Amino acid sequence: MLEVKNINKSFYRNAALTDVSLHVNKGEILGLLGPNGAGKTTLIRIINRIVQQDSGSVRFDGNLMTEKDLQHIGYLPEERGLYKNMTVEAHAIFLARLRGLSKKDAKIKIEYWFDRFGINDWRKKRIEELSKGMAQKVQFICTVLHEPKLLILDEPFSGFDPINVELIKQELIEMKATGKTIILSSHNMKSVEEICDRVVLIHQSKKVAEGKLSELQEERKLGLYAVRFRGSMIAFVNALWTGFEVVDKQILGDDRFEVSLKMRGENSFDDLLNVLIGQVKMEAAWEVLPSMQDVFIEIVQTKKEIEDEK
Amino acid sequence: MRNSLLIALREWKERIGSRSFVALSLAGPLVVLGCIYLLFAFGSQPKQHWKVLIADPTGLMANKIMPGEDQAVDYAFADGYIEIDEFANAKKYQGFDALLEVNEKVLSNKVSHVFYRNEPSVRMQTKVQYHYERRLEEILVGEFTDLSLQDFRKIKQPITVKFTNAYDPEDKASDMTGWVGFFYGALIFAFIFLFGMTILRSVSREKSNRIVEVLLASVSPNQLMVGKIIGVGLAAFAQFVIWMVVIAVGLYFMRENLFPDLLDASKMNVQELVLSSAEQSYQEAHFAAREYNQFVDLIYSQVQFFNMTGFFLLFFAGGYLFYGALFAAVGATMGSESDGQQFVLPLIFLLIFALYSGYYVLNYPETTLATFFHYLPFTSPVVVMVKLSIGYEPGHAYEIYLAFFVLLIGAFIMMAIASRLYKNGILQFGHRVRLKHLFKWLKRS
Repeated sequence: MLEVKNINKSFYRNAALTDVSLHVNKGEILGLLGPNGAGKTTLIRIINRIVQQDSGSVRFDGNLMTEKDLQHIGYLPEERGLYKNMTVEAHAIFLARLRGLSKKDAKIKIEYWFDRFGINDWRKKRIEELSKGMAQKVQFICTVLHEPKLLILDEPFSGFDPINVELIKQELIEMKATGKTIILSSHNMKSVEEICDRVVLIHQSKKVAEGKLSELQEERKLGLYAVRFRGSMIAFVNALWTGFEVVDKQILGDDRFEVSLKMRGENSFDDLLNVLIGQVKMEAAWEVLPSMQDVFIEIVQTKKEIEDEK
Repeated sequence: MRNSLLIALREWKERIGSRSFVALSLAGPLVVLGCIYLLFAFGSQPKQHWKVLIADPTGLMANKIMPGEDQAVDYAFADGYIEIDEFANAKKYQGFDALLEVNEKVLSNKVSHVFYRNEPSVRMQTKVQYHYERRLEEILVGEFTDLSLQDFRKIKQPITVKFTNAYDPEDKASDMTGWVGFFYGALIFAFIFLFGMTILRSVSREKSNRIVEVLLASVSPNQLMVGKIIGVGLAAFAQFVIWMVVIAVGLYFMRENLFPDLLDASKMNVQELVLSSAEQSYQEAHFAAREYNQFVDLIYSQVQFFNMTGFFLLFFAGGYLFYGALFAAVGATMGSESDGQQFVLPLIFLLIFALYSGYYVLNYPETTLATFFHYLPFTSPVVVMVKLSIGYEPGHAYEIYLAFFVLLIGAFIMMAIASRLYKNGILQFGHRVRLKHLFKWLKRS
């Protein structure tokens, strides 16, 4: 669907992107992650042809991307604005027409999306009268109104309350189900974990990691397991004896605990379950994988240490 | 192009829907009409009434002056010398506006003095001189000829010698028409400044509320800039049309209702007025007619509004594109809405300089510098308007089109330069604009 190859871009000799390549498959949600100033927005702007790359190429549906392809892209920038003195409907029509829709088609789509987001009563209101959350909804609708094949969303959840974050998430999942491709740049790691199929991590202008979430987590797991149980903590520790090392514990109630532990020697998850069953009342046990946040921090810090050593 | 038109349409709708547009559309022409009304009303008012004291120590005038009555001037006689200080300060003379001193040598040296308190209008000066001259004529005729006064008057016929420019027999190129050209030029620059600032504010507002990034994902910076300039330009054009219509209707209304006599074309012929005033001296009649008609004549017959308005639109369009691109570029380079005012100032100076060049050409239309200003895109819109109203030499009308062609080329070059600044500056936020930034952005493709 989209292929970015060996993109380089610098501003006044400061590298914003160095040899960055990535691809997004049709019907996939790709998370674009990275600390502030890593080069994510520059990459997104290059894909949207807002900024011209110094070298490298962007291909859309197999062909070098042209201005015409922009009609198939819906872009929601991080710092997005609206014309405050326009009405909601006029604004949506204006942006939809810029994306190639006729006025008539734009009105039909507006009808559908305003109904879906429950803002039909607001269509004649001026943008300046809207609350921040409401304005965010309008911005999201304006991005998807022309039914783009590729959606590029830069921090789409910022400014939304949890209910609306959920609403947007569900919309994205539904769009994915209908074959839309989505690039999502966000600092909201929980949301990234929940909806992204793959992630690309950019740090200091370079791509430092790419892959499926599970793969990245697997690569960086620390061999930690967690157990939630009811019973005596002493009985629990005695049962583990020397085969396991308790790393952390949380008291959930009078006799309810959640413990993180590491295996010692050749012990496995099965061994752990065998020694505990009968000693405490097991509620749950699982392998602890690093969260996306942990992966993110770990990669960024490792890179920083390598840079420092140099 | 479609996107530029959509941007232009949005700008146009926003502008014409704004309160300031409506207010300016009505207030602007009403102010112009008000000024014209005042000029007409002032011009047609009866002249100020004067009381003149004639100091005639030799009794030459025999306490007589002007057989007819002129309500504008009252005369009184004093038979002794009156010093200037005395006239200026003595209480008994405070009721007089002027002192006419008739000395004994007047018949030989033909010189008399009038001392006034407040400077009289030229018309009043002419009246007093005329009355005094006629009384002296009576005395001279009686003293040096055997003719009766009636016979003398028959001999002394006013002869009108009209000096006419062979290239401009209808005198379309008087100083006054030159000022009309300057007014047109000033109007162009007033509109350019007004709507240039609108472009600048619009661009910087789009930057500060970040809508620009959404737009740039659909349109190129160049399309956005061009669309904006066209949209605001169309609003300016609409406003100009409204101005012209309101002013035209206003002038028609004035001619038909407020000043039907004053603006009657049959009374506007200087020659006719002079001939019908056999009793008056040529000087008096000519002056009165000229004063009476000059402005009216200018507005209703000398100025070729249709022609001027046509060229006004051409040069307004060219000048607007030229300067509009500059305003858009400045707007795009601003780091914030408040920043960048420092770069507005040079633009204002440039506009003022252009106005000055128009004034210069009004006074020195044939100098090399005037020719340079005529073709310089920064100044040509106002200078061509002035030259157009003064009149081009026969066979030199091509100069107008040449100047327009140069202006168009200048506008396209300026658009290209501005487009670079716009493209590279539009997504820069929160910085302080420095000249080095501008040079860097200009160099960057």
